[in-house]
Amino acid sequence: MHLTFSPEDEEYRARLRAWLDGHHAELAGAAGLMAGGGAANILDAIGMAREWQRTLYEAGYVGLAWPKAYGGQEATLTQQVIVSEELSRRNTPPLINTIGLTILGPTLVQHGTEEQKQRFLPKILTAEELWCQGFSVPEAGSDLAALRTRAEIDGDTFVVTGQKVWTSMAPIADWCFLLVRTDPTAPRHEGISYLLCDMRAPGITVRPLRNAAGGIHFSEVFFEDVRVPAANLVGELHAGWQIARSTLGHERSGLAGVLSLESNLMRLWRTAATLPRGDGVALDDTAVRRELAQRWIELEGLRHLGFRTLSAQLAGREPGASASVGKLFASELRSRIAATALRVEGPLAQVAKKSPHTVDRGRWHAFYFDAIGHSIGGGTAQIQRNTIAERVLGLPRSVQGERAEGGGPGR
Amino acid sequence: MNFELSEEQLALRDTARDLLKQRWSPDRMRHALDAPPARVGDELWAELAALGWTGICASEDSGGSGGDVVTASVLAEEVGRALLPGPLLSAVVAGRVLDRAAGTASHADLLQDHCHSTRRVTLALDEPGANPGLVPTATTADPAAGGWSLTGTKICVPDAEGSDVILVSALAPDGPRLFAVASADVAVTPMRRLDAQATSEVVLDGVHVPADAVVCDETGVEDAFDFAALLAAADLVGTASASLDLAVAYAKDRVQFGRPIGAFQAVAHPLADASVDCEIARSLVYAAALAIEESRPETDAYVSAAKAWAGQATVKACETSLAVHGGIGFTWELDIHLHLRRARAGAASYGDTDFHLDRVAARVGEMDGYAVEAAGSGEDA
Repeated sequence: MHLTFSPEDEEYRARLRAWLDGHHAELAGAAGLMAGGGAANILDAIGMAREWQRTLYEAGYVGLAWPKAYGGQEATLTQQVIVSEELSRRNTPPLINTIGLTILGPTLVQHGTEEQKQRFLPKILTAEELWCQGFSVPEAGSDLAALRTRAEIDGDTFVVTGQKVWTSMAPIADWCFLLVRTDPTAPRHEGISYLLCDMRAPGITVRPLRNAAGGIHFSEVFFEDVRVPAANLVGELHAGWQIARSTLGHERSGLAGVLSLESNLMRLWRTAATLPRGDGVALDDTAVRRELAQRWIELEGLRHLGFRTLSAQLAGREPGASASVGKLFASELRSRIAATALRVEGPLAQVAKKSPHTVDRGRWHAFYFDAIGHSIGGGTAQIQRNTIAERVLGLPRSVQGERAEGGGPGR
Repeated sequence: MNFELSEEQLALRDTARDLLKQRWSPDRMRHALDAPPARVGDELWAELAALGWTGICASEDSGGSGGDVVTASVLAEEVGRALLPGPLLSAVVAGRVLDRAAGTASHADLLQDHCHSTRRVTLALDEPGANPGLVPTATTADPAAGGWSLTGTKICVPDAEGSDVILVSALAPDGPRLFAVASADVAVTPMRRLDAQATSEVVLDGVHVPADAVVCDETGVEDAFDFAALLAAADLVGTASASLDLAVAYAKDRVQFGRPIGAFQAVAHPLADASVDCEIARSLVYAAALAIEESRPETDAYVSAAKAWAGQATVKACETSLAVHGGIGFTWELDIHLHLRRARAGAASYGDTDFHLDRVAARVGEMDGYAVEAAGSGEDA
């Protein structure tokens, strides 16, 4: 048992660090974006975010797992971890086309036609085309297979009618990958197809939804007789459920998520060590100190669980359902760190951002709401528990029907 | 990067699981609750020693098996799963401590005897009033003619009655040390753990030991404590797993309202949570074992992380398992309460949860990224 990287991997890390050192300006711009400043308006911000992904891509640090034939790097799993680690250490923002990179890309690599791969994959990498996901519908959140958005076949065209909801990025996305019901008479999990739709096609209306945190993160998307060419069908007709399932179930070690939690916990610990409380600082309080220690323990537990998952992958085994263990724990840990943050703030937790006496410019309130969103999006905590109960413990099914792993409202 | 058990470690796990299941039954712990406390008899002890387990972390030259700390944690998990009473795990610690004290002829002999079960060695760290016994205060070592004079009281010593030699931590004028003391020279009073394991109170009243009775200095005392706390954590993970296995099997089998109760989310979700907590605990145990093995500077934080989390998670897993069983879970005949007793006792041994949280906080506050001094230009907004 060891936790060291090979000399080749360490060399790779050194090259990445050197590259990052040489790109201060882009890093600063990207960091400014994350803090919500640095851009005159939202369109500038999107432009800068696209630019940042493109810069990173051109340096060879995007599409790490993808085949070289479509612009990917075919990098090793450990190199992927190293990139996550180093980018997180520099506090870089998530890539703007993450949905395309993590969900659609692997789906097309596995199930797309050669034409689709050539057409779409390179532009996902460069952020030239931004993608959103149209899976959830109003009547089908966790129960994704209940979706009713339908597509009728008219010659060599699909005609899509219906509504999607919880669609992240919809107002700025160029393309949408979506699940539609193509055979209303078939059983729930059959008769669903996987389509790629141009968001500028006539008949699409995007209505942004404001979330509980006050931000505009996701939208409703309405489809009214939207025509999608048959060439944009992914995989076989009526096979969309299996295709969606294959990539939603494609879990990773979760180590990238650990790093984002770690930078927040570090930041919180420093806040606790400096925030005045009584005669001293918040960290002097035994209860606060122990709660922070508990969060660190949980973070390290998650990290080392991730190392076990990664090791299984390196040994050529699919982590399978055990990855859902990490996913559930990560989402709950995010919520606990957020709650701890508000405890650290103490009475000042009532003070909003942009107000005198606000702590850390209100970042912990934002983190708190963000954590709540995390516990729902991409599969609620309850759905994750179902998965663990059934797939890890082998308990009998609690609900009838088949679910997509990690299915659930919104991406 | 390879954070999985090796083939050899997996083989040891399977061997230990099978053998301990054959040689030890939870019934014996249940029986011991109404009888003298449970201890491993001489015959079984000789067998465990012959398997190389008492000296699992001692070098092969010394009669040990030359295993690493991770391997020892694998064994400890099986000991917890089987509900085997002490003092195997404190013997494992003693074996490693003596191995590192190599050079002194008397310790080398003792280690040989320990590995071959001709003499049993246990470990005395805890003191009344002091939380974990990390730093002895109630037991002192004063220089005396040709050696040391030891005075004080140790408690919760695993099976001192059945041991020939006790490694006692005591505070010398220049810091804590560990001394090898013949159990014949001290007053041993039986104690009983919550889970019916035999432990002892050991009173030293000016016991004279020779100069070469010193096994290690302050660093060695902390190493011994860390290793003991790690094995206690691994033991807890084993008992959590065993009790969770019982509950999962029951939830598949027991039918109420026309369905196996495991199909009800009110039953399934707490079990899912317990299994998540268990996997996190196991991951922390491996992390701590590796930290000890590699003598990493933040070893104390990782050991305390493993012990604090394993204690909490195991208590919760056992309580959940009991609840899933309903009324039958609260009966004397079911094994769940044996696991719960071991969980509660184990969580309190070698530093309770609060002690370990405090120890984590102290170390993490100095780490890069967490310490305020280390902040600097990395601050965003």
